Amino acid sequence: MSKVLLHAEKIDKNFGVTHAIDHVTLDFYEGEVHALIGENGSGKSTFTSCLTGIYHKDTGTFSLNGKEVNAKDQVDGNYQGVAIIVQEIGTLSGLTVAENIFLGKEDEFTSFKVKHTKSMNKKAQELLDAYGFSYIKATDLIDKYNFEDRKLIEIVKATHFKPQVLVVDETTTALGEKGRKELFKVMKQTKDDGRCVIFISHDLDEVLEQSDNISVLRDGVLIDTVKADNVNTDDLKKLMVGREMSNNYYRTDYDEKVSDEVVLKGEHLTVPGEIEDFDIELHKGEIIGIGGLSECGMHEVGKALFGASYDREGSVTLADGTKINDIKTAIDHSIAYASKDRDNESLVINDTIQDNICLPSLEDIKKNHILHAKDEKAFAEKYAKQMSTKMEGVHQFMSALSGGNKQKVVLARWIGKDSDIIILDSPTRGIDVKVKADIYQMMDSMRKRGKSIIMISEEISELLGMADRIIIMKDGRQNGEFKRSANLKDTDLIAKMV
Amino acid sequence: MSKFQEFKQSHWYGLAMLAVLTFVFWAFFKMLAPQTFGDLGKLQTYLKTALYYAVGGCGLYFICVMGPFDMSVGANIVLSSVLAVNMSERFGYAGLLIAPMISGVLVGLLNGLVYIKLRISSLIVTAGLSLVYEALSIFATNGKEAILAPQYRAFGDYPGNLVLALAAFFLCGFILKYTKIGTYTYAIGSNEVVAKNMGVNVDKYKVVAFVLCGFFVGVEAILTISYGTSMTSASNLASMSRNFPPLMGTFFGLAFKKYGHPVIAIVVGEFIIQLLFQGFVALGAPTTVQNIVTGVVLLAIVTMTIKPVKAVVVK
Repeated sequence: MSKVLLHAEKIDKNFGVTHAIDHVTLDFYEGEVHALIGENGSGKSTFTSCLTGIYHKDTGTFSLNGKEVNAKDQVDGNYQGVAIIVQEIGTLSGLTVAENIFLGKEDEFTSFKVKHTKSMNKKAQELLDAYGFSYIKATDLIDKYNFEDRKLIEIVKATHFKPQVLVVDETTTALGEKGRKELFKVMKQTKDDGRCVIFISHDLDEVLEQSDNISVLRDGVLIDTVKADNVNTDDLKKLMVGREMSNNYYRTDYDEKVSDEVVLKGEHLTVPGEIEDFDIELHKGEIIGIGGLSECGMHEVGKALFGASYDREGSVTLADGTKINDIKTAIDHSIAYASKDRDNESLVINDTIQDNICLPSLEDIKKNHILHAKDEKAFAEKYAKQMSTKMEGVHQFMSALSGGNKQKVVLARWIGKDSDIIILDSPTRGIDVKVKADIYQMMDSMRKRGKSIIMISEEISELLGMADRIIIMKDGRQNGEFKRSANLKDTDLIAKMV
Repeated sequence: MSKFQEFKQSHWYGLAMLAVLTFVFWAFFKMLAPQTFGDLGKLQTYLKTALYYAVGGCGLYFICVMGPFDMSVGANIVLSSVLAVNMSERFGYAGLLIAPMISGVLVGLLNGLVYIKLRISSLIVTAGLSLVYEALSIFATNGKEAILAPQYRAFGDYPGNLVLALAAFFLCGFILKYTKIGTYTYAIGSNEVVAKNMGVNVDKYKVVAFVLCGFFVGVEAILTISYGTSMTSASNLASMSRNFPPLMGTFFGLAFKKYGHPVIAIVVGEFIIQLLFQGFVALGAPTTVQNIVTGVVLLAIVTMTIKPVKAVVVK
């Protein structure tokens, strides 16, 4: 067996009354890709954040090659041999590509307090070229590049100095095909060099494909470490959730007739540069899935239907003839929308769970024009509990919740509002299998109660498993439509996506 | 990307825009008031005023890029100016130059420390402290007008003012481009949390930004007192009106930041504002009309330059 590279001894971390990591002891070996999996809120990211200096652990020690690692911040972590690539954007606007790559490490290019910008740019460009990203210019402002390219720059930033331990924290969900390929290349290189990758992902197939060993965390406790070759996704799900998970958590019906009643009609929807001449008819009790490659325009469709797109042409009409041209009209007419960008577009992140759930329903909660705190609390508690949100209480701030629990709050909000038409953009993005199952169950139950759902998703299995009808988009246009069928295959959809 | 699109993203485009804007405003008023506006001599006078506002604008730029704000610039100018007069009487030019720089730095340091320690809005902190600085200016002058002796007025006219202002501009540009302070100023303004995670001592660099602002305002005070030759102490926030002229240049700097020449934009921006003011004076327009049009034009230029992304949240 290879030598232990990183040893974590009784790592413990609390956030208030939440015991995020409970005395976790774990070894990571040289030349290994070691996956950390677990439900949302299981402590995976907190564990790696403590290692890389984003958080400070309460007790315990990390030892790298026998030497203690105690990172004050990410850059300090880099100097101690550990680095992290995070899920969300980690580069800074207003700085050049080179400045981003060497942020916090300017001293390497500074003498007598003067920064040698030229040599920093030169070094950054050499690195970009070496990674095969020559089209990215070190001297450009980073704002010039799209999300995916900025992620690639982050990969360079986190790995150019060959850290002994590289943490890849749910990064793949934010990447397209090209980005994933580059990331996996870097992970493989790290492994081949005898260093170690700690890989966090909710995509269990990807985990099995990329990893050598897999450790499972549940409620901050290390449950087990298994060899990837000896397990399958069902074994992992069982370890994560603590009980047998149904093999298929999608809908099982295939021949239910969808109502003829059209509840929402979008005609000739065009948003310049995003979608073009898009038509859609949503029926009562129907789930329509919209899929395609990440940049195909599908995410804009949700906004366009909710009245949240700017420069939208075409019309969105409800069964009663109401035109949806703005968000207020949409909400007033029982339309709900959960954006893919949860933190920035769906939630008031610096506010409490209670306020987030109650926000669109204040008119319904108030009595005699007055809002009573007691009623708001009761309302929020009812729907937060209905979604099994893991929380200290509804007074807790959103920022303290894990990704999956944040999503539960978003859904709780719209269940509370009792909306009839629900637009869900990437509803299970970055969410563990158990919460996924809960969300699918909720969607199925809503459908049965006559609610209509538009589900925009980059996950083909989700589209096949949950939708009555699937619309595939390509280059901003509709490129294919499929009816729900047990015979429908992922390859059928892919053929229309690419 | 087409050649034109590439050009539009280059720093040359920013410089060209500034040059075109300057020419357009000059030509506009020159046509309307050919006798009383815009000959070479007058342009030099406009530049003279623009220079000292631009020096203060450079200081404010460090703070505004990060996100906070400094409402004590006016009070700092008043206090630093009266101290410059006092110290010039004792130490000659050394007093005139060093006293306002030190006073500006101390004002900035106090602003920064109180801001990070109390963790309250920079607007409130600096407005509150302005009252203190104004009071200090009264103590320093016993309430009398401070007049700079004629033998110490070299920085009130060319070439002294130009030399001092250019030194300040180069220093500002150098700090922004060739020191960690510049990088961290932009990093904190972009995302404080990420900057912190990258090891940037956010509080320290916020204080540094206030200190730099104070320093450049101190230099502005040297130019102001040298040009105006006298300064009256202020009270009851009477100094507030002095906050805005340098701020206008800062707006230009922020708007043209993406083209990589904020300092040039601050200087040219102040010059454009002077063209506007002086143009209206030449036309005989009432001050109120001048203010309205100048405000509208300033907003129009900044909006046109920034082209805010649709749906983006602006605070």
